[in-house]
Amino acid sequence: MEDEILLRMQDIDKVFPGVRALDSVSLEVKSGTVHALMGENGAGKSTLMKCLFGVYKKDGGKVFLKGKEVNFKNSKEALLHGVAMVHQELNQALKRSVMDNMWLGRFPKVARFLPFTSERKMYKATKEIFDQIGLNIDPKTVMSKLPVSQRQMVEIAKAVSYDAKVIVFDEPTSSLNDREVEHLFKIIEMLKAAGCGIIYISHKMEEILRISDDITVMRDGKHIATKPAKDLTMNEIIKLMVGRELSNRYPPKNHKKGEVLLEVEGLSGQYNRLEEATFNVCRGEIVGVAGLDGSGRTELLETLFGVAQKRDGRIVLDGKTIKNRNPREAIKNGFAFVTEERRATGIFGILDIRENTVITGIKKHLIGPFVSDKKCKKSTDWAINAMKIKTPGQHTKIRSLSGGNQQKVILGRWLIMHPTVLLLDEPTRGIDVGAKYEIYQLIQSIAEQGRSVIMVSSEMPELLGVCDRILVMSGGRLAGEVVSEDTTQEEIMTLATKYV
Amino acid sequence: MKRIIVTVVSVILMAVTLSGCMSGCAGGSASDEISVFYYTYSDTYISGVRSAMDKIFKENGVKHNSYDANSNQSTQTEQIDIALSKGASMLVVNIVDTGSNDAAQNIVNKARERNVPVIFFNRSVDESVISSYEKCVFVGTDYEMAGHMQGEMVGNYLLANYDAVDLNKDGKISYVIFKGQEGNMEAIARTQYGVEDANKVLTANGKPKMQFYDPQNRNGYLVDQDGNWSSASATNYMSTILAQYSESNNNMVELVMANNDEMALGAVSALQAAGYNKQGGKTIPVFGVDATDAARTAIKDGRMTGTIKQDGEGMAKVIYTLTSNFKEGKPTMEGVDEETVVGNWRVNIPYSAYTGQE
Amino acid sequence: MGETIKPNNRRFKGLSGKDRLRAVYDLLINNAMYIIIVAAIIFIAIRVPAFLSLSSIINIISLTAARLPIALGIGGAIVLSGTDISAGRAVGLTACIAASLLQSTGYANKLFPNLGVVPLPFVILAVIAVGAVIGLVNGFFVAKFKLHPFIVTLSTQLILFGAVLMYLMIGNNNGQTLSGLDPVYTEFVRGTLFTVGGVAVPKYVLYSLIITVLMWVIWNKTTFGKNMFAVGSNEEAANVSGVNVFRTIILVFMLAGIMYGITGFIEGGRIASCSANTGVNYESDAIAACVIGGVSFVGGTGKISGIVTGVFLLQIIFVGLNFLSVSANMLYIIKGLIILTACAIDMRKYLARR
Repeated sequence: MEDEILLRMQDIDKVFPGVRALDSVSLEVKSGTVHALMGENGAGKSTLMKCLFGVYKKDGGKVFLKGKEVNFKNSKEALLHGVAMVHQELNQALKRSVMDNMWLGRFPKVARFLPFTSERKMYKATKEIFDQIGLNIDPKTVMSKLPVSQRQMVEIAKAVSYDAKVIVFDEPTSSLNDREVEHLFKIIEMLKAAGCGIIYISHKMEEILRISDDITVMRDGKHIATKPAKDLTMNEIIKLMVGRELSNRYPPKNHKKGEVLLEVEGLSGQYNRLEEATFNVCRGEIVGVAGLDGSGRTELLETLFGVAQKRDGRIVLDGKTIKNRNPREAIKNGFAFVTEERRATGIFGILDIRENTVITGIKKHLIGPFVSDKKCKKSTDWAINAMKIKTPGQHTKIRSLSGGNQQKVILGRWLIMHPTVLLLDEPTRGIDVGAKYEIYQLIQSIAEQGRSVIMVSSEMPELLGVCDRILVMSGGRLAGEVVSEDTTQEEIMTLATKYV
Repeated sequence: MKRIIVTVVSVILMAVTLSGCMSGCAGGSASDEISVFYYTYSDTYISGVRSAMDKIFKENGVKHNSYDANSNQSTQTEQIDIALSKGASMLVVNIVDTGSNDAAQNIVNKARERNVPVIFFNRSVDESVISSYEKCVFVGTDYEMAGHMQGEMVGNYLLANYDAVDLNKDGKISYVIFKGQEGNMEAIARTQYGVEDANKVLTANGKPKMQFYDPQNRNGYLVDQDGNWSSASATNYMSTILAQYSESNNNMVELVMANNDEMALGAVSALQAAGYNKQGGKTIPVFGVDATDAARTAIKDGRMTGTIKQDGEGMAKVIYTLTSNFKEGKPTMEGVDEETVVGNWRVNIPYSAYTGQE
Repeated sequence: MGETIKPNNRRFKGLSGKDRLRAVYDLLINNAMYIIIVAAIIFIAIRVPAFLSLSSIINIISLTAARLPIALGIGGAIVLSGTDISAGRAVGLTACIAASLLQSTGYANKLFPNLGVVPLPFVILAVIAVGAVIGLVNGFFVAKFKLHPFIVTLSTQLILFGAVLMYLMIGNNNGQTLSGLDPVYTEFVRGTLFTVGGVAVPKYVLYSLIITVLMWVIWNKTTFGKNMFAVGSNEEAANVSGVNVFRTIILVFMLAGIMYGITGFIEGGRIASCSANTGVNYESDAIAACVIGGVSFVGGTGKISGIVTGVFLLQIIFVGLNFLSVSANMLYIIKGLIILTACAIDMRKYLARR
């Protein structure tokens, strides 16, 4: 049984107008194994999966499930054949309960021919599955009340409930903290033991090397290599992915720490859990903020920037007390804020790159009372060059760019304002390795210019690699402060659980 | 938040008290009052009836309460339910739905259950409905009459001014008629009889029938698409017509008829924009129905030619007489001009042609 | 990602047959509105050549001009992914106000018998102010309490109707139609701007043109305009980016209100008889025009040129079907189908390609 091939995708082609997105790509998933699918954004991983699930119509090639050729028209059909996907972006009915979401489209009925759904059966079935995978959520909870990580667990439970044989995980850990990641891996081990085949898509090398049995690397829509995970090292994978060697994952730190620029004293939020945060940041310093999900990291930045209402506390910038009652005031005081949820609070998806770039600094682009196209174009040109944004032109809609390039546009938007304090919330989430490195470089160069950066991240190696100091949050409070050079992940983790 | 709620509630209370007093219900319980239901406040003619009615009730110290159905029969029916449960002593109803008997019969049945008299007015209700209940009468105009009278007025006007009206000298009068609403009995009658009777007068005197300006239009009328009998619809139609039909093309529309005065005035506005119906210029005769103040002034100024007068005050007076008859237990039709009474179920307020002389 | 590369802006040359076909198809879809308009004009003109006569063209332009300001106002509300159904009643109220202030002194049934003829600039300012206040109320409730504009304007629409009814009851008017307008007013609105080949172009065409240009500048060239699109596209992101979301929403609705005021002023003079019925349902045509013109309910998109095209198309349908002597019953159906098709084509642009 161990080596039975569950799923075989053979010579899959997909052509978009003007682009060959997949060029005869093959993939085999054996039962009881985790098969990692790697590649930079745009390498064709998602396209390949969309072809599998019938979201896209493939232009060539065949798919076999347990030796039989299949051709799913939509993800529902795939599900019924036991092929499930846990999406990177969760498509859930947030206002409905967890169990409603689990059984959506196949609600259990009171009796076979009655049109009434049975809440009781639904509750019981949900509970059983949750117990099976060790998930402690009340099935009646409203979805939106759960943190993203638990919503993702529900999604996994849903796949299990369909008795799926092949489960695709698309960036499952991007919104999970370390403990939740451990939980996820446990579930994956369990699925493996039950004979499932797992396709695991992720950018995180450590994870991939830890849990996968085989690794397939794609680049530019082509299949590059498939090797057992144990035969590969991180650097080899990166080399396969980018086609060149990335000697170091983090750029060297060249910035110099100056005198204290920002002092925060007893900062508490009115409607969030942030309590009594006191710290300071120097010129040319990069300060990281670590902590578990829900520890108040994001709230710290939001309260500092005036997005969330402040209850108490003092903010002193360059010796002057400031209020930052709303984002406009914060911007005037030289703050900038790159938010965590890029789609929800960062980009204006339907607008083009130029509009997205100049929106914050629109007042800098006026001639008299009118917005000058020329000035806007100049700024956008600067942003595209300085941030190395890959785009066909200024009038491309931002949502058609990759995550990394979107993030660069947002960074460019803020850098036009010449901020003195740059707040970054998960600046590299969902961005591929190459682009991540470029973003790190940008952050370093900002610090080199004597500005301060406060950066929240759930990836600890990233914090250690980029920041000078790390503030660790726990349960809404500052649990401690460590210097990157002489700390360990374990020390940070201990602090992070201090007030939980 | 609490303060906001308190403010909102008090504002609402104030508004309720204010509006209550304005409609003349000087405090006290709502029982024993006459409830008047209008099909819509936005109808100009009905507004005239309403203010005449308000005035006459007030002068005689009769408590009454007015409702606006806003052209919606179910709203009106609900309003009647409410009024009856409040203990209204009499219903005066300007019904919304004239297309079928059901709505009116429904109201009559409700009234009979509580032994409350019903007076329907203005918008027509079938005889079978009225005579199904002894305490029910209808005060209207013979709705077909407006059409007949308009037709007669148009016919006679044409006979007297035939050559002046016939701009292209082809011996035939090219006309347009604006219908207020599809599926409304009055609009249908006014459109049909207006044209038929005008033609009758013409043919009896050896003239050919009038011709609809656009021979391809099988309806033979243009209708307000929103069913509002509105002046804007007539303006838009008329300016579109004038873009295609003109004196220089020798196919000018030579006569305009409208189901009501608002549409007539709307047409006048478009004609004026094209240089007609102004002092010193050519005038295309425009006829309406209702004799609203605006139309009467327009006729005096020569912008419009004629309209049919519906006597709003006369209607209010008759309704008042009927209510006091019911109240005092007198014979229903006592004190009403006998000539206007039809059977024992209906009073017809006469129409009169209005061409500028009072 | 590969799949998101847009096939726009590419030349047909050098593409395979299948791709070329798709590119042509895209070009057709993206310009469908213009194609429909041209096809409609050609079709009607072949059946009734007079449709393209000078007087007919000027009539269509005039009708478009009369309906344009209200659509331009509503357009802003739709860019915010909202709507405004109080527009028609707002037009009605402002039309009645304008008419009542400008009745000629000799008119027997004046609403304000003792009022002389108020100077025009004052009346224009008055209707603009009334419109702005209506917009302020709409905008305030949308921005402050985060109510959906549909609910807010549904309510204000009722309040405005009541206000019109009460206004028409002032003095001895008794709810009568407001007529007998001062010639200065009607002349100012529908007087002749200039004549082309013997056909008069009314003055309000000029006013509409000025307003359209003004709105184009506001939408495309001012901070407010850029902020409006940003808020419509992503309110939260706009807030973080330092846009004053509250003020932007209120200003959008106030600007819309001002447009209704201007529409009311023009409509009052154009129709020359205003009642409680004036303006009713104008918003439905205006909303339809915006959506036809690509101002999407998704929010964040829309062009002034699109709105003008939308209003223009609706008027072509109205006039064209009259020229074709199509019965009113059919007119409803055709209008409904055209709006549906237009919206479907518009949405097609936003759907992900598969």
